[in-house]
Amino acid sequence: MEFLIETIRQVTWQQAAMWAIGGLLIFLAIKKDIEPALLLPMGFGAILVNIPNSAVIAEDGIIASLFKVGIQASEAMPLLLFIGIGAMIDFGPLLSNPKLFILGGAAQFGIFVTLILAALIGFPLNDAASIAIIGAADGPTSILVALKLASKYVGPIMVVAYSYMALVPIVQPAVVKMCTTQKERRIKMKYRASQVTKLTRILFPVLVTIISGLIAPASLSLVGMLMFGNLIRECGALGALSDTAQNTLSNLITLLLGITIAFQMQAAQFITLETLMIMGLGLFAFVFDTIGGVMCAKIMNLFSKEKINPMIGAAGISAFPMAARVVEKMGIKEDSTNHLLMHAVGANVSGQIASAIVGGLIINLVLPLL
Amino acid sequence: MNTFLLLSVIDSPAARSETLKASLKILWQGLLAIFIVIGLIILAVQLTKFCVNKAEAAKKAREEQKANAAANDPSAPQNGGEAR
Repeated sequence: MEFLIETIRQVTWQQAAMWAIGGLLIFLAIKKDIEPALLLPMGFGAILVNIPNSAVIAEDGIIASLFKVGIQASEAMPLLLFIGIGAMIDFGPLLSNPKLFILGGAAQFGIFVTLILAALIGFPLNDAASIAIIGAADGPTSILVALKLASKYVGPIMVVAYSYMALVPIVQPAVVKMCTTQKERRIKMKYRASQVTKLTRILFPVLVTIISGLIAPASLSLVGMLMFGNLIRECGALGALSDTAQNTLSNLITLLLGITIAFQMQAAQFITLETLMIMGLGLFAFVFDTIGGVMCAKIMNLFSKEKINPMIGAAGISAFPMAARVVEKMGIKEDSTNHLLMHAVGANVSGQIASAIVGGLIINLVLPLL
Repeated sequence: MNTFLLLSVIDSPAARSETLKASLKILWQGLLAIFIVIGLIILAVQLTKFCVNKAEAAKKAREEQKANAAANDPSAPQNGGEAR
């Protein structure tokens, strides 16, 4: 009868803790509706890989194989997800008011500040940069950078990145309120839906790919896939493919990505002090991203006749579309007639592009130093 | 124990100073590069919008001119003319 309890005897307290974490993720996904498409597979995966002698993480186990092929060897999963994201995004509000692009860039400030803090704490450069990229508020970018820089914290980085993205509605309002006055939050912005021609919409993804590729070639895999998805959407000739990219492809990759990432949630790698530090640094990155965006909007107001509501800057982080919704809600809370959604969406989609470019820039700048 | 754990996972002070120097370099280079890329994209978008709008306006003007010319041309068949 010994064989029946052999595995039970091998359970460590760290593995039991991972079951609890997995359970918590499943609870958050189902009960609190926090990023259920990701947190549920990750939660279940966390339990699955933390059972002693689990067959799924053996040399030829299904999760180990999916991780090796789909993530480690080619980064295919996060990149394919970007095609779906690109097909979902309407860049119209950004093309109507291209200066919102500046806010998307400014809201990446937290990445660079967090890099310095992580370096100060003592993380090696590759890990510091991988942790800092949590501030991109973009799961696929975080995975890609962490893998390219061979960080040993891919699992915690993933969990923290997606958790904070889900917590944007809690984190951002407090930070925005902290750095704006009520008068600023009540600034009204007129939305002029200037007609963006189909040709402009088609040329945009091509131009962005060429420009970002020439300056940050490492960003091409991310930006290229994002823009490819968008071109499929905007060309008007590939309705069925656009629909597939937005729905079937995205859902399929999300489903596999969540459970595959769980490969990195094995207790020995996950239950460490560094995971706690990464959680703190991730929050720091999100806070400084928001501050960067808001402050940039305030600076732009110094030079512009038409005032920008500084809250729009907070939507410059990539978490799409949560950040834009948060700004819209805050605007309405301050003044029920103040609708900021279209401006916020413009800043939000610019953040999506900017975060992918910054991901590439970080890879470009860090790799030669390793 | 926590201090011991922390020291075991992070760089030595010398390596930390090197990492800090590198991260400061990445800070200014990264911020500069992202704003250059964004500036170029804004320029490209504005230029595209300008050119596309110009081309569309010119196309519209040409079509209007053609329609006016057709309306003023007495040899052109009138509406319903062929039916009579």
